[in-house]
Formats: sequence, C-alpha cells, structure tokens
Amino acid sequence: MEIKVLFTILISTIFINNYVLAQMLGLCPFLGVSKKLDSALGMGLAVIFVMTLASFITFIVYKYILFPYEITYLRTIVFILVIASLVQLVEMIIEKTSPTLYQALGIFLPLITTNCAVLGVTVLNIDSGFISTEFGLLKSIVQGVGAGIGFTIALLLMAGIRERLETADIPKNLKGLPITFVTAGLLALSFLGFSGMKF
Amino acid sequence: MNYLKEFTKGLWEKNPILVLSLGLCPTLAVTTSVTNALWMCLASTFVLVCSNVLVSIIKKYIPSHIRIPVFITIIASFVTVVELTLKAFQPNVYNSLGIFIPLIVVNCMILGRAEEFASKNNILVSIFDGLGMGIGFGLTLTILAFFRETLGANKLFGLTFIPGMRPVMAMILAPGAFITLGLMLWAMNSFKSRKKKGG
Amino acid sequence: MKKFLTKIILFFNNNYLAKPTFILALVVFLAAFILSHVKEITYPSILRQTEEKEKLALNLVLPGYHSLLKRRVEIEGKDFIFWEGEKKDLNKESKGYAFISFEPGYSGPVKSMVGFNDQGKILGIYILEQTETPGLGARCLEVASSQLFWTSFFKAKKKNLNHSRPWFQEQFKGLDLTKGIKILQKGDWNQSLRKELLQVNGITSLTGATITSKAVTKSLQAGFKVLKEKINLTIPAVQNLDNNFLEDDENINREREEE
Repeated sequence: MEIKVLFTILISTIFINNYVLAQMLGLCPFLGVSKKLDSALGMGLAVIFVMTLASFITFIVYKYILFPYEITYLRTIVFILVIASLVQLVEMIIEKTSPTLYQALGIFLPLITTNCAVLGVTVLNIDSGFISTEFGLLKSIVQGVGAGIGFTIALLLMAGIRERLETADIPKNLKGLPITFVTAGLLALSFLGFSGMKF
Repeated sequence: MNYLKEFTKGLWEKNPILVLSLGLCPTLAVTTSVTNALWMCLASTFVLVCSNVLVSIIKKYIPSHIRIPVFITIIASFVTVVELTLKAFQPNVYNSLGIFIPLIVVNCMILGRAEEFASKNNILVSIFDGLGMGIGFGLTLTILAFFRETLGANKLFGLTFIPGMRPVMAMILAPGAFITLGLMLWAMNSFKSRKKKGG
Repeated sequence: MKKFLTKIILFFNNNYLAKPTFILALVVFLAAFILSHVKEITYPSILRQTEEKEKLALNLVLPGYHSLLKRRVEIEGKDFIFWEGEKKDLNKESKGYAFISFEPGYSGPVKSMVGFNDQGKILGIYILEQTETPGLGARCLEVASSQLFWTSFFKAKKKNLNHSRPWFQEQFKGLDLTKGIKILQKGDWNQSLRKELLQVNGITSLTGATITSKAVTKSLQAGFKVLKEKINLTIPAVQNLDNNFLEDDENINREREEE
C-alpha cells in the first residue's frame, strides 16, 4: 500500500503537477539554462540533488525543532538558509569534479538558491500535511525527487526545442524571450493532458 | 541624483518582469485574478522597499563574502512579517496567495535590487528604486491578471464580467499564463522597435 | 582579563571565517528576536480566525442545534474531534453530530466539516480549507448567482449581499451517509437535478474537477465510518425512501405528526 502512495506522489509531481509547467515554479533558471541540452542536463541533475537533500533536511528540522518548540514562523528563514548552504556545497562539489560543467552553468548554479521550485517543494512538503502522516519523511523525499525529475524533464524538453528554434525563421520581435514563453505555454498545454490521470 | 528617474526606470525602461526577467515565478502563478495580483504587488513592494532600506543602512558593516546570506536573511524576515500579518488580518488573501507568500523571498527581483542597487547607494534613493521596481512589477502583474481573469474565468475582482460568456479555461491554467506573457513581450518588443524606427 | 579580550579580538580579525560567521549569526539572531515579537502581536488574531470560522461552520452544518459539545476520541494514536449537539422538535430530542476531516485533493488537502443527524442524514457541509485550481476545483466555493462587475458600481450602496451557499456544498444536504454517495457527471447543479440526485444518493461533480469532488466525498465517508464504529451511533438499519423526498426538516416534522 505504501509503495502505491509513493508511486502516486512520484507520478503526480513529475507529470500531473509538474513544478515548472503546471505549478509555474522554478522559471528563472528554466528560461536561463535551457538554451543548450548539456547544460540543461547538468543543471537538472544539480537541482534533483539539492531538492532531495533539502526536502530531507528541512522536513527533519521542521518536525523535530520548529514544530515542537512552536517557532514555525521561522520556517521561511530556516528553510532558505538550509537551501543556501546546500547550494554552496553543491557548487564546491561541481567545481572540484567537473570544471567544464561549472563554467557552463556559470551564474545559474548559485541561482539555484533563488529557484522558487526548491523552496517551493520544501514548503509544499509541510503544507501537504506530511508531518502528521506516517512515513512523512519518505513521502517528502520522494516528492523532492519527483519535483527535481519533473523540472529536469521540462528543462530538457525546452532545451531541445530551443536548439531547433535557433535555426528557425522567427519574426524579429518574437525572437528571444517572447517565442520562448509561447513555446513553454504550448508545452504546458500538452502537459495538461496528464491532469486526467487517475489512480 | 535624479530621484524621479530612479523611480520611473522601474516602471518601463527597467521593468523587472518585462525587461530584466526577474520575479517570473509569482508573475505567472499569482495572476489568476486581479485581486491576487494587487495584493502580491503590495506585499512584494513592501518587502522590496524595507529590505532596500535596511541593506542600504548596514551595507558598510557586512563583509563581502557573506553578503548574500545576510541579504537573504533580511528579506526572509520581512517576508515572514508580511506572512504573519496577512494570516492574522486578511486570511482570505493569505489562502488565495498560498505558498507564493513565502516564495517572495526567492523573488529574484528583491535579491537582485539589494545586491545591485541598495548595497551601493544611499537610503533615500534606494527607497525610490524599490518603489519604482515594485510598482512596475505590480503594473505588469495587474495587466497580465486582467487578461487571465476576464478571459479565463469571466470574472473581474470576483464579479462576473460578461454575462453568458463561457470562459477559456486554459487562460486560468499554466498555458494561458505562459502564452499571454509571451504575447505581452512580443507587443513590447514591437512597440520598442517601432519607436526606434520612428526616432 | 585584558589579555583574554585582546586574544579574542585578534582571533576575530585574523581568522578568515570567524568574523563573517559571527556577523551572520548576529543577523539571524536579531531577525528571530524581532520576528518573535511580531508573532506575539499577530498570533491571537490568527487563532481567533480559526475559532470563528469553526463556529460559523458549525452553525451552518448543524442548523438549529444547541448545547454543542466538543468531544475527542483517540483512534489509532490520532485525535479525532467531533461535536455533538441536541435539538428539540415537538417534545422529541434528537442528536446531531459534526466532524472535520480532510482528504488530499488535486493540489493539497481539502478540509471539510459535515453535520448530520442521528439517522445519518447530512444536514450540511462546509469546506474549510482548500487550495485547488481556481476555475476548476476551487469552484467548490462558487456561489450560484453572481453579481456583474459593471453593475457593482451602481448597486454598491444597496447591499444585495449574496448570502447563498455554494451549490457544490449545498447539494450534499439530505444525502445519506450510511449508504455510499455516488458521484455523477451531470454538469453544474441546478434545482431540477435535486430529485434525481437524492434518489440515487449522489452528487454532481464539478466540471473538470472530479478529483476535488471525489476528495470531498471520500473525506466525509471516511470520517463517518470512523465515527460510526467508535461512537456506536444508533442509526436505523433500513431507511424507507419511498415517499421521502426530504427537502428540509419541515417535511420530517410533518411526517412525524402524521405518524
């Protein structure tokens, strides 16, 4: 039974409630990094890593420190500082292991801190009531993983399309951001089809 | 220092959403109704001006390499103030804005202005910059929300707009947001290039 | 003492990490301190909001019941809260019950309160919290007749305040919780659907928001199942529905008189 619930969460966050295309979170890096497929993939993997770890740590901090001591109003500050530290950590790891990727991601790596989707998934874990259900920690982690995977999929799709758009004949005023948004809109429209999936 | 210019640049020339591409997450998600858009504008402008002022005051005392975490903490504190105030005195607004109130923290616009402007300028001009950016943000939000609410739900401020018209549901959902913003950017680009041609 | 102090100052100035860490810690501490005061100011109001909403909901789902008692029962380690009220019609006292339960909807849990009488008939529901999509699931709060934007400027002073309840919630009135509640797809509710829905003990779901509709129904039935088992409600085994198109309580009273 529990596996089914986890699977539902996973499918729901990746397809039905895709964080970028359905919930409209994480847009700044989505538009900034999706120009090339390789940097998109690298960014996506970094985001999955940060989201999973952030879900884990913030959930534990909320359940065992913030909630029992009734300082839940410090949630926003604590969560964002946890995320900022994690991003710093990821930055250092990438710099050491793959300098080329580090160069390719450039400014967008520290910008994962301000990625609405990362803070969004940590807050949504709490708002979905996971702290009072059993296996709440596991559900939060799965939701984090799912959010990251959904973000990566959206990013990859966008990158693939944008690479093609480079060589397409687009009217002058539509070039750049406008056509990107319209494309994202059409992608979001296609993902709407998932909203009818039932379990 | 031309204070008026610092104020107006945020409205058109350096409009945070349309030109600088900052603060996109709340833009697309919060513009499902004009009321939401206006409240978000108010909340964001409040946080922006307050954090600009505080950053401008303490800019001399913060060592350079921890300035980002310090800015984030300041912004997060003001966001928590807004969160608690709205929850206490306007619970309907709090419920309809949902997770986007804590997400004001990661609104790239606020951190961006703190980093780029407030940490390098005096208090008074930072206030004007904050106000200008905030109102420019709000104007764009309102225009986007106007189209989405009237076409997507046939309502304006929660009241029926055109009797008997069946709304286009896609406008209220993610695709409508993306496409409308893309078209707005296209309109803006066309306007700018026509001005350039004429001038 | 002085030596110790100078040692500390030197440590701060020489150590690369000490000063920034200290300043960051100071900033965080100050922020938390100020925020705790803001919390003290706003919290009474926040708590009052929840209480008032609960009271309003209770009055709507258990109309005419008094002496409402809030009771708490522990089930599987979790607290289940419900209210028990009494009503007096024509020298006969009957009990009514209300509880709050929630079920995950499309984008978050949907929290609803339901009130029912001692025969398991729903007297009303009130959706307390939901974060469903506006225009789809959030229409569960939509009121049937809406005022036009344009005329609101003229009618502003003559308050034609719309006190009517959302149709999605109203249609639950009269349904039998002891039987399963069916979910039909008959489009938006209107008066002509009432008889048909009562006959099959069902509701019409929101267009394009079946998940939300299902969540509300499921939460009511799950809560009722728990309450029925643990509290041993006396509910008659068979309910004769032949001549009972019960529109409101007045009909029940009329029938009791005839008996």
